[in-house]
Amino acid sequence: MADLYDEMRNSVLEGDEELAIELAEKVLTEKGNAMMAMNEGFLNGIQEAGRLFEDGEYFLPDLIFAADALKSALRVLDSELKKNEGESVKSKKIVLATVQGDIHDIGKTIVGTMMTANGYEVHDLGADVKNEEIIRAVKEIKPEIVGLSALLTTTMEEQKNIITMLEEEGIRNTVKVIVGGAPVNQNWADKIKADGYSDNAISAVKLADELTA
Amino acid sequence: MKMNAYALSDEEIRIIHNDSLQILEEVGVRIPVEKALELLEAGGAKIDWEKKNVSIPREMVAKALDITPKEFTLGARNPEFDFAMPSSYTAFTLDGAGANVIDYRTGKRREAVLQDVADAARVFEEVELGKVLWSPVVPYDVPGGPCGILNTATSFMNSSKHVQDEVKTLDEVQYVIEIAKAILGSEEEVIKRKIYSATYCTVAPLCHDEEMLEATMELTKYKAPVLILPMPACGSTGPASLYSNIAVANAEALSAITVFQLMTPGTPLIFGAALGIINMRNGIFLEGAMETALQLSAMGQMGKYYGMPTIIAGCLTDAKELGMQADIEKVMTCLPLVLGGVDAVNGAGLIESSMTMSFEQMLIDGEIGLMCNRMSAGIEVSDEKNFFMDIKEVGPGGHFLKRKNTRTAVRSSEFFTPELANRSTYSEWLKLGSPSMFSEAHKKVEKILSGELKNPLSPSTEKVIKEIMEEAKAKLR
Repeated sequence: MADLYDEMRNSVLEGDEELAIELAEKVLTEKGNAMMAMNEGFLNGIQEAGRLFEDGEYFLPDLIFAADALKSALRVLDSELKKNEGESVKSKKIVLATVQGDIHDIGKTIVGTMMTANGYEVHDLGADVKNEEIIRAVKEIKPEIVGLSALLTTTMEEQKNIITMLEEEGIRNTVKVIVGGAPVNQNWADKIKADGYSDNAISAVKLADELTA
Repeated sequence: MKMNAYALSDEEIRIIHNDSLQILEEVGVRIPVEKALELLEAGGAKIDWEKKNVSIPREMVAKALDITPKEFTLGARNPEFDFAMPSSYTAFTLDGAGANVIDYRTGKRREAVLQDVADAARVFEEVELGKVLWSPVVPYDVPGGPCGILNTATSFMNSSKHVQDEVKTLDEVQYVIEIAKAILGSEEEVIKRKIYSATYCTVAPLCHDEEMLEATMELTKYKAPVLILPMPACGSTGPASLYSNIAVANAEALSAITVFQLMTPGTPLIFGAALGIINMRNGIFLEGAMETALQLSAMGQMGKYYGMPTIIAGCLTDAKELGMQADIEKVMTCLPLVLGGVDAVNGAGLIESSMTMSFEQMLIDGEIGLMCNRMSAGIEVSDEKNFFMDIKEVGPGGHFLKRKNTRTAVRSSEFFTPELANRSTYSEWLKLGSPSMFSEAHKKVEKILSGELKNPLSPSTEKVIKEIMEEAKAKLR
């Protein structure tokens, strides 16, 4: 089995999506243990990818390949994993969006990838997401964290508006709000009473870890 | 001859042109504006109405390029600063949309405020090569809705040069036109003098922004020039070779040209570019990279191939502070463009990937620009500059200081004398207080900003513009 777990780990580490799917399907057809496959195999791969990134050996494309391979394996094993809920390690959930009026989503996508690589369950709502949609997602998904991206000085005000809406809906204290984007800074985050700010994806993960510790 | 530098051969320019046409035909662009789609469909383009994707046939692009003006003048409030393109030298424009300034009083980086936009305009007024003023920062102390209009009005009040900015929403267009009308007196003059132009960024890869396209299309009704700025980043929002990323940027530019010419045939457009590469570790757009400079230089050539005026991003840096990295990167991203003969370079005054403005840097960049232009002017080998008679009369030994030609030459464009760079002897330099380029620039900034406002508007015009600002504050959300 150890070899198979290594293969799973490597499929994610190398970002080989097809292989990851094939190996995950094998778990189902051979009635293997999905939870073990995840914890001993695929997740090890993403952790290793994250480590290589920190070491400067992996670049963003490597991480995106790895995260997508992991997500594909997860999708295959999803229903099987849910059967065993309870004994599973519950991953923390994060909702990500680029705010309304702003169509720049690369930065937010990179944050999503880093979050996935670090074991978060990422719900990426996309770019130019209406404020109401973000509120709805917070209600439905009940994430630990919501991350709001804005690249434009003109759209960063939506970060503030969303926080106000969370307050009005009475759900502000159910979720930590983190903000980012080129014109955003700590000062702005403080001003709008966000829970945190980060100017890059790696420290965004650290921030999320701290906020949910 | 003039000194030249090119990134692409003529053959390579044609190859990229064809690649871009193939992209437009086979991949298409997303244009989420109904009016634009209708015009494109009527012109023969194939539309996927659900996805709002358009395949633009090459004949349509050719037709648009055909009616795009080859020359026009960016008017200035003060006609002395009118900027005719194509230009025999490379001018400078400020680059927009930074967020911070390095406060010239404290030397510390802080968030930008509206007063910085005014001060930037005043310093820019004194930059010799500065011809086009794009308010370089978005101030934090005004609300987002009226911000663009307040910036534009503030620029006009503090500088008499040509003003350029974005129109982000349809509502903004009327305000901009009202401001120009207040200065020039009539709509007819606004159309004729062109004292305002807009920048228009396409969204990589191969998209257009709904609101900005709507607004900019509306603005072309007044024949306001539009600077088209594609900015795909190699490997993230564009393909991972410089060559293909240029083809995507060029395709985006061609799609914008086609739309604007369908909207207002013969409307003046400027070929621009702000494409580049990213840091593959954190995703940050890299402006000071050599690969960015190469792509920008190539795009300058594409614009010239189409016979259009060109304003290309350059004189850029990713440095977080003034100093060695900033100046090295700025020279390296400026010189190739000047040697390629683009009409203007935009980027002066900003550091940190155009996020932070420094007035001192703006003046230093002005000097970098002058140096690059001197380099570009090259060596004149002509009968007028053939001083064989001087050589003969001085003969072996002797000196040329007492030649009429020498006396004339020192005051001619043969020799460029920098204003900020120090050329003293060591003891002279010590006596001057050991000035650096920065300290000289700083002194000049203080002098400009403590002095009288140059070329102010008439009090009555200023009053009208202030009223327009108040209205924008009340009505633009």
